[in-house]
Amino acid sequence: MSETAESNLEKKLRNLIETIDVANALTEPLTASIENLLRVTASEMNSEEASVLIREGDKGDLRFLSAIGKVADQLKNLRVPAGKGIAGFVFSSGQPMAVADAGEEETFYAEVDKQTGYSTQTILATPLRHNGEVIGVLEYINRIGEPPYEAFTPNEMDKAALFAEAVASLVNAYELAKLFRELGDKMVEDEKIAIYSEVREWLGNLRSAAEHREMLDLAILIREIASRGEAERELCRELLEAIVKFSDSKNETSFLSY
Amino acid sequence: MTAVTGYEQGKFGTISTYFQIDDSWKQRTGKGVSVAIIDSGIDLTHPDLQGKVLESVEARNENKRVVFVPSDVGDTAGHGTACAGIIARIAPDAHFHSIRVLGAGGLGDGQSFLAGLEYAIKKRYRLINLSLGTTKPQFFAPLHDLLDRAYQAGCIVVAAANNLPQPSFPSVFSSSLISVSKSEETDPFHFGFRYGEVIELTAPGVNVRTAWLGGGYKSLTGNSFACPHIVGIIALLLETYPNLTPFQVKSALYAIAAENVQEDQSTSGEK
Repeated sequence: MSETAESNLEKKLRNLIETIDVANALTEPLTASIENLLRVTASEMNSEEASVLIREGDKGDLRFLSAIGKVADQLKNLRVPAGKGIAGFVFSSGQPMAVADAGEEETFYAEVDKQTGYSTQTILATPLRHNGEVIGVLEYINRIGEPPYEAFTPNEMDKAALFAEAVASLVNAYELAKLFRELGDKMVEDEKIAIYSEVREWLGNLRSAAEHREMLDLAILIREIASRGEAERELCRELLEAIVKFSDSKNETSFLSY
Repeated sequence: MTAVTGYEQGKFGTISTYFQIDDSWKQRTGKGVSVAIIDSGIDLTHPDLQGKVLESVEARNENKRVVFVPSDVGDTAGHGTACAGIIARIAPDAHFHSIRVLGAGGLGDGQSFLAGLEYAIKKRYRLINLSLGTTKPQFFAPLHDLLDRAYQAGCIVVAAANNLPQPSFPSVFSSSLISVSKSEETDPFHFGFRYGEVIELTAPGVNVRTAWLGGGYKSLTGNSFACPHIVGIIALLLETYPNLTPFQVKSALYAIAAENVQEDQSTSGEK
């Protein structure tokens, strides 16, 4: 591979890495902000858990984007089929709903509770709207403290609607950023396909070089010695350090001789 | 008791031009009254609803048109079951027609909702529970037309107000339907009427214990659950006075609510 081709490849690899970084940088702060907002508003609602579900595809399915609370990690990316459970209804109808004894229902929450070991007792679910479109669902679950939990009140329903406006703006920004990220991912994918053959050729050239082969042989030898035990590893290190020292002193002498 | 006086032969049968109601409707059960529930479906196996659902259809998208086909899905969300449960508790002998427009998958909310309402009007169901609505302005005009058609066909449409601080259609239409928002009242007979307000009626809608999926019950809060309380009351009125027009039903509700206020005032005076 010529010097120009090598520098082109380096440029492409750098672009690739930068695109990946930018794509991730677009969505990560937004998901962090959504999570922070959930934390603050859940405290205002005297609620133990909160989560944001967003639409997935065009059939009305939902996916947990963000969650706080004991089972937050288990909820993230979990899917809710279209129209199922309270979240499914709130999403498809665009109407908020509060349920005082949700855990007993034989639908989505009971299934999630079985998976997570959590006990969903009281829920307030409100739609996330942007420009008149329902783009997701905001949920507050249970209360801070010990059960039995008090039901969410109509005033809290109004309060949650206000919080939903702020969350919806962030979710909308997240969805836009996600679009860019997907575009970025596609660009990266296309670029990857284009430069795969170049990288393969470059590595092939490298491996076929005599110098590289000798270094590879040496690396294999060291690895073999290292695998034989601690004493062998120690001896090998001492020998190699001695060689480095010898080489340094040789270079120094050579330098002085000039 | 004051007898209903004055009858006229109208387009859809004999209607009363003057009426006065007594309390006999409170002893009725909604027998012979058909209620269409446009919602997420109804769980046909729920003990409170078994044998009461005469028809169950769901919206399907066929070649970009919404059609209704017989459905055995029941209800996957619970909302329609909850609404039917509230009506059945007030009017246990009313029968239901479930028109499933939510959760059917792949359909735009307004599109299937509109089609569901049109289906119910074409079938001339006497009473239609609409615990749903849309905030999309593009549905204003078509819904307005449909509601006018319902009024002219003698269908009594009862709609839930939006729970959010923005108008939803059709609940904000005044003349052609009855719209309801929630109150913390628990007695279904003790509903309120706010003459001159956009949403005129108030009914129990906070922690309402009603039927839910899997044969169970839930305590629910929302305007959606206030709406079926009024539907249940109208079912009793229709059994008692089968020829009431949508306009007369609204007047009757106004009169009953005014009596409720008077009762409240006399009760508080006694204290």
